Amino acid sequence: MKANPRDVNTGVYYMDGDVAAGYGALAAGCKFIGGYPITPSTEAAEAFARIAPKAGAMFIQMEDELGSIASVIGASWAGVKSMTITSGPGYSLMMENIGLGAMLETPFVILNIQRGGPSTGVPTKTGQADMMQSRWGSHGDYEIIAISPDSPQEMFDYTIKAFNLAERYRCPVMIMSDECVGHMTEKVVIPQANEIEMEPRRFYDGPKDKYFPFKPDEDLVPRMAKAGDGCKLYITGVIHDERGYPVKVEEYKSIYVKRLVDKIRLNKDRIIELQEEGTKDAEIVVVSYGISSRVAVRGIEKAREKGIKVGSLRLVTVWPFPDEKIAELARTIKAFVVPEINYGQIAFEVERCSHGKANVVLVPHGGAGVHNPDDICDAIEYAAKEKRKIEGTVEYKTKLERLIFEEGYKLHE
Amino acid sequence: MNSIITAFDKGIEKSGVNPSRISVPSDIPFAPEVVNYLGVDFFHTTRGRAIAFGTGLKLGNPTLKVIPFVGDLMTLGGNHFVHAGRRNMELLVICVNNFVYRKIGDHATPSTPPAFSPYSTFEEPFNVPHLANSCGAIYAARWTALHTEELANSIAEALNKRGLAVIEVLSPGPNFYTEIGEIEPNLLNFYYEKSVVRNQEDPRDVGITPEGKIVVGKFTDKERPTFIDSYNAQLSKVLGDKFKPYGSER
Repeated sequence: MKANPRDVNTGVYYMDGDVAAGYGALAAGCKFIGGYPITPSTEAAEAFARIAPKAGAMFIQMEDELGSIASVIGASWAGVKSMTITSGPGYSLMMENIGLGAMLETPFVILNIQRGGPSTGVPTKTGQADMMQSRWGSHGDYEIIAISPDSPQEMFDYTIKAFNLAERYRCPVMIMSDECVGHMTEKVVIPQANEIEMEPRRFYDGPKDKYFPFKPDEDLVPRMAKAGDGCKLYITGVIHDERGYPVKVEEYKSIYVKRLVDKIRLNKDRIIELQEEGTKDAEIVVVSYGISSRVAVRGIEKAREKGIKVGSLRLVTVWPFPDEKIAELARTIKAFVVPEINYGQIAFEVERCSHGKANVVLVPHGGAGVHNPDDICDAIEYAAKEKRKIEGTVEYKTKLERLIFEEGYKLHE
Repeated sequence: MNSIITAFDKGIEKSGVNPSRISVPSDIPFAPEVVNYLGVDFFHTTRGRAIAFGTGLKLGNPTLKVIPFVGDLMTLGGNHFVHAGRRNMELLVICVNNFVYRKIGDHATPSTPPAFSPYSTFEEPFNVPHLANSCGAIYAARWTALHTEELANSIAEALNKRGLAVIEVLSPGPNFYTEIGEIEPNLLNFYYEKSVVRNQEDPRDVGITPEGKIVVGKFTDKERPTFIDSYNAQLSKVLGDKFKPYGSER
């Protein structure tokens, strides 16, 4: 199905990533955003609030993030595509209800413009340290999908993709962007509505009294109904059977939770999007996502100038994680280099999936800035020279860290 | 609880609203499966978030009638309650107040009056109708689970109000009261003897105390533009013809 022309502001723009995400949400058919302002995500909410009323969509500034996310789940069950926009502290507040969303198999999108943490951290500057939180933040077993765009154009494109995935798999989808991409201003092309592919909600269309809200199709994803349709919905966050009624039997827990995780895991191949470049004869592969993948481009270039065979694997979809792809590469290469703006999150996933067959070098960054491409190049060089098989992940010391911790750099002089 | 559900059923019937157009989000303490047999859509959400969830349902489809059944209203849900009142969000909030967290071993709640806890609480309880009225609710009433007829009428009336309506229902938590022995062992008798109907009473004067009477009745009934009314008015003013008023099903 194609997007509705009323929702698509076709044109060529010079806009930042946040604003592009707001336009992308509307183009995807989002009709409700409940949000609470937080730096550095506010521009996305403002953009949507500005354009939404003309397209029959609504933005409401809720009283807090707990209310925002609850209203978003409610709106989704009322039958409209919905989203919330937040960053660090707000994201933490949303965790309980993200679990509710996963449990009720509710399609909705969360845009997280990551900032420096922990706690208030550096509100106005970047970070990539919420990646594990996006996967494991709410209690219990569940699977979500997370996408990490690296340019304003991608913020537009992948916001639409996030909505499509949410509808397709009836689950929360996170757009794990960051302050740098959110506030990066570039050319954004918004195409005609008939060029935008939109996944409509997969509504149940059988007899009302035969509707089971959690009875899966063959692909393990159940059909949706909406409130007010006469289906007598009973929807609960308690473990439930196909009808939705609570059950406290051990067997049901396994049946239901297994399907919750399997509907993502077994559909992995259809969900995951990767950008792979020069990995065929590479001895080193740089695994990156979000803003770090953009910085890595220069680091890789520099390493290639030095004659090192480097490939790049960019994770557009970070969750579910491309286990098989990493394992496959690990068999043929010498090492992975993983630059990320944290002290090791995705790098450990890479280590897990490489099964000890390739070294893993983490290029960390404390946040509030992005990597120096030289550090990525140096880490590649180090990984190429290293002859030993190293157990675990090696944390590469960046120039800044060497300066501070080894060369006695004084912050206040 | 049964008498409340019965009153709820009667109230819906009297209101003339088609049950299939009604959505009932609730928070953790209340998950009466029987609600489903009334023909409504039921959503059992997270602690305290029934009003916020209901706000999403209402704004997602403004033609729905949304009735949050809440138990964690004055604690986790306090902020949502206050803001639903300020916005005059079109919801009928039914606050089932049993004074204690029945599900988790009788902990005292912010609406527990002194002497209703094993060693007596020392915190001032909330006066729910007064709070509702102060926050901007257009309808506030209180009944006990004994007043099924009045409660049903109240629900029917409130369902056709435009804005935030709040009905507090005092419901028994019998084990608790009888264990203490300080209160009449037969709780229904206790409600029967203690409660007094005073419609139009100033909500400031209806706080529940161990000594005084339990004042029940309809305390607030007024009119104010709803959230969607105000939204439509403001955006029409600014955007003119570019704006199509919000309110129909989309």
